[in-house]
Amino acid sequence: MFLTKLAFKNLVRHRNRTLITASIIAFAIFFYILFDSLIGGMTEMSYESIINHEAGHLQVVNPKYWEEEDELPLENLISVEPELMMAIEGVERYQAASPELSFVARLNNGINELPVIGRGIIPGDFEAVFALEKQFVEGRMFSHGENKVVLGKRLADLMQLEVGDYIILLVKDKNETFNTIEAEISGLVHTGNPNVNQNIVYLPLDIVQQALNVDGQVSKVIVRLRNKDLAMRLAKELANRINAFNDQLTVYSWNELEAVSFAGAKQMGNQLILAIILLIAAIAIINTVILAALERMTEIGMMKAMGLRENEIIYTFVLESTGIGILGGIIGVILGVGGVGLFSKVGIDFAALYGFDLGSFGVPILDRIYGVWNPKAFIEVFAFGVLVSLLSSIPPAYWAADKDPIKAIYHR
Amino acid sequence: MRKRIGLLLGCLIIISIFTSISVSAMTAEEIIKKRDSNEYIKTAKAESEMTIVSGNRRITKTMVSYIEGDNGLTIFTNPRDRGTKFLKRDDDLWMFFPEAEDLVKISGHMLNQGMMGSDFSYQDMMESDKLTELYKFELIGEEKIEGRNCYVLEGIAIEGKKVSYYRRKSWVDKERFVGLKEELYAQSGRLLKAMKVNKVEEIEGRWYPMESVMEDKLRKGSRTEFVIKSIEFNPKIPAGTFTLENLK
Repeated sequence: MFLTKLAFKNLVRHRNRTLITASIIAFAIFFYILFDSLIGGMTEMSYESIINHEAGHLQVVNPKYWEEEDELPLENLISVEPELMMAIEGVERYQAASPELSFVARLNNGINELPVIGRGIIPGDFEAVFALEKQFVEGRMFSHGENKVVLGKRLADLMQLEVGDYIILLVKDKNETFNTIEAEISGLVHTGNPNVNQNIVYLPLDIVQQALNVDGQVSKVIVRLRNKDLAMRLAKELANRINAFNDQLTVYSWNELEAVSFAGAKQMGNQLILAIILLIAAIAIINTVILAALERMTEIGMMKAMGLRENEIIYTFVLESTGIGILGGIIGVILGVGGVGLFSKVGIDFAALYGFDLGSFGVPILDRIYGVWNPKAFIEVFAFGVLVSLLSSIPPAYWAADKDPIKAIYHR
Repeated sequence: MRKRIGLLLGCLIIISIFTSISVSAMTAEEIIKKRDSNEYIKTAKAESEMTIVSGNRRITKTMVSYIEGDNGLTIFTNPRDRGTKFLKRDDDLWMFFPEAEDLVKISGHMLNQGMMGSDFSYQDMMESDKLTELYKFELIGEEKIEGRNCYVLEGIAIEGKKVSYYRRKSWVDKERFVGLKEELYAQSGRLLKAMKVNKVEEIEGRWYPMESVMEDKLRKGSRTEFVIKSIEFNPKIPAGTFTLENLK
């Protein structure tokens, strides 16, 4: 008890030293928490962006089509039979479903041509699944049966197109024969997803089906659920229901998408960055603790001369160091709470701050990035800080306690 | 006198009926086949020049091509593209970039792009010459193109066949059996491309189009002029010319 009291007294006695060392630990912990929150926010928003603009929660598709999806083939398409729609609508937590026919096209403005991705959609169904409605900067969504298109504002600017202009889409039908779709632009959108803004043209499904000669077929049916976390389980459940009458189809959940695994792979990279931050923090802590121990060599000699045993000296030292770790950890966590709180409310706009577009780094986010709360990170990094302080104090304490008291006192 | 005029008129009517019978006796397929016998190349070596015009910009590229049946090799010779090569082997198309020392297979959607920025797509280069197998041709009339009488033929893609253009309209010189003009249409009926032959020459006993212009009708002010500087039919082409090894 005496030793514990002594350690505590030492902490208070050397207030400046305690505070400086603790502040280094606090800074490392704060920085880690903030970075973790930013990465968490980015990942979460990437997923949301993919779900809300491209993938939905579940995709009902032919597995052969899924394998070649990058090419957007017109083979292995599916027919939207009433039986299929009934099975989809019957799935637990079902919210909405939207059939979609995707194809490769060349967008032509009469002077230039640009390769784009065309998506044939049923406007009502589409808007129930995807959040495009609020993203219109000009015009509106076309109605069913209208010969009109919607595209990203950025793509329109690039091709010098405006609402009311006519475009020609040059497409190849199922027999590889050229066909053209001529339509008026009914609206322009600007979303948080760069792919939608610069690559995609939305058209009425029936017009696309006719132009591509696909007999009323679609590439896939996209389903939105009320809870995205249940997607994996519900995908399996829906696949079983569908396979009861059609074994050509399967269901994939949003987290099986290539774009999501790509975002996941980036997450691994981010974990590495976090690990490096921790390593730097650990080196800083070790360095500070060792220096603090060396600085107190005379004191150690004195304690030994007064009859303290080696183990007791080490105990006092480790306790002091752990105390500093706990103090730094608490300050770091408090700062972290404030930082993440601010970050999750106000967010950060990289484009405005640094003038670059995260889209060009493959992150499908254009909006402000908001931090997320990750209690696990708080606990982990706190424990890490305390543990590193504790462990790093052991070797110098041993070394110092092992010294002859006279040498320790006159070590200079 | 009246009798004579009547006889003369009668003769004229009979002659005109006979000539019209002899003209219509030639079917659309025969006309296309006759044109192909002029234009289809078994083996050839050609030096040509391609000028891509887009608005006020003109880019000229020169090339040497070797053709043997379904295989073809084109080597660009103008300073900017020197050493760039295209190799067509049956249904595959390869491109070699000398600066990057990179070999690229052109497939899928890339085939729809203009070759070296021209109005000829890679797909146009790949099209098989046996048009009669892909299209059902019909003789739809006769017209004069720059003073020359032409058959006007219309080909509609045979259902189920994989062809780029749903409909093609060809003007074939009635005497020389060489195509003088061609229009390529999408299924929607929109004119996509128009080709016009400006100069025809008789080489080794066959009439061959030496200068032509291709226009991409979806892009305003865009055209590609193609001029054959020299062509040699049935030359000796060294073995191994149409191999990937030769491309590098």
